[in-house]
Amino acid sequence: MTFRLRSGKKGLEIRLHDLEATIMDVVWGKHLSSFAVGDVLAILEKQRDIAYTTVMTTVTRLYEKGILERERDGKRYLYSPKLTREEFMESTAREVLDEAVGGHQAMVMLAEKVSEASAGELDDLEALIQKRREELDA
Amino acid sequence: MIEATFPLLGTAFVVLIVLPTFALLAKAGLVMLERDEVGGPLHGLNLRYVLLTGSSVLPIAWLLSAGLHQAETAKSALACLFDHDTAELCFEPGFFALMLAVVVVASSIGVMRKHRGVRVSSTDAARTLLRRVARITSSDPVLASLRDRVVVTDDDGFALGTHGLLKPRVFVGTAFAARLSDEMLASALGHEAEHVRALDPLRYLILQLALAVNPFGRFLLEPHATRWQAAREAHCDREAVILGAAPLPLADAIVRAARPGAREVVALGARDTAVLKFRIGMLLAFSERAPARCCHQGPSAFPVAFVLLLIALLLPHQTGTAALDALHTGAEHALTYFWR
Repeated sequence: MTFRLRSGKKGLEIRLHDLEATIMDVVWGKHLSSFAVGDVLAILEKQRDIAYTTVMTTVTRLYEKGILERERDGKRYLYSPKLTREEFMESTAREVLDEAVGGHQAMVMLAEKVSEASAGELDDLEALIQKRREELDA
Repeated sequence: MIEATFPLLGTAFVVLIVLPTFALLAKAGLVMLERDEVGGPLHGLNLRYVLLTGSSVLPIAWLLSAGLHQAETAKSALACLFDHDTAELCFEPGFFALMLAVVVVASSIGVMRKHRGVRVSSTDAARTLLRRVARITSSDPVLASLRDRVVVTDDDGFALGTHGLLKPRVFVGTAFAARLSDEMLASALGHEAEHVRALDPLRYLILQLALAVNPFGRFLLEPHATRWQAAREAHCDREAVILGAAPLPLADAIVRAARPGAREVVALGARDTAVLKFRIGMLLAFSERAPARCCHQGPSAFPVAFVLLLIALLLPHQTGTAALDALHTGAEHALTYFWR
């Protein structure tokens, strides 16, 4: 499984988009070991207005990302999570690290044309560090 | 004229053809290593270093040794070089080795000139900072290795860096240190402790010398050398965090050291944007999860480089100097061809 890590995000949202993270939160929180799109929709509808197609699209995307697996049940699919929340967070943390210390992307970054950092860029980096510090304190 | 043919043309051939060819081969190896996605940019740092420096140092060592080997007579090398009437055969390879040595020394002068020392201060501000550093290092067992290795300078343009080849010391600028909290300073010293442990000033100097003696091949290797140096800085960040430095204060110290005004361009690494972003990103990740020694570092650079150098020096005495003979006859044939 490879994911694009989302900068400035915490927890599930490091690897998942907002609705993807919400759905996985529901799946893990309600211990849904096997579920249809309608099951998740029923829970989410209590919290917000959301269309069936939106949930279906997002669940399909989670399946395509390898976070859910599925099997056919008549005309519908039944989904189940591949990993527990703990396993997912463990692999996410490892991936954050791998992304930081390795990977082709990091080498490409180092291969960029040499240019001295401007004061603005240094301010941005300091703000990033400060933000992470506040996140960790929170 | 004929006797000077090989020493002059041979040296030119080495500088124009032999060394750039080795640089090209080293570049091929470096590209393959850097493309290896397992471990990323910190992968194979020592092997990359051996390729970067060995591509210049090893052929020069072999050629120098081969030249001196051919100049061997029962007399000393100097007698062989200057007593031309009785040692005609040994004059040309001996003079070639001398020419090569002159090229190496001449190209090294520029590099050595750039290595200016840093003035150690003993003002009140410096003494206060030294006491602060002593307090920090004594409370941290990892930084204990820096005891008596940290000195202070009042030089306004100096931030923080490691200097000294065989017994490196960490220099801390008083003005820069005043802008750091104790935690930032401790983390920054942790970064420099890895430079001290690994004799990085010596490594960096040898790398610069190796590039300087290969003026036509260095443009092939310089981007890889820059990346190696950046990766080396990131490696020191990671080692510091593994040994207990706090990642976010270290990130803060790195950004502050990169602020314009500091003359010390190697202060806690480079000012280059991409490198800074990479290192800060890495440290932000480390703040969530402590790093482990993930990447294969290969055997230590210095022992491997020493063994290779020894082999290059001894090889001509054991296996002959056929390559130098080919260079010798090639240079004379080339002159004959262009002369007629």
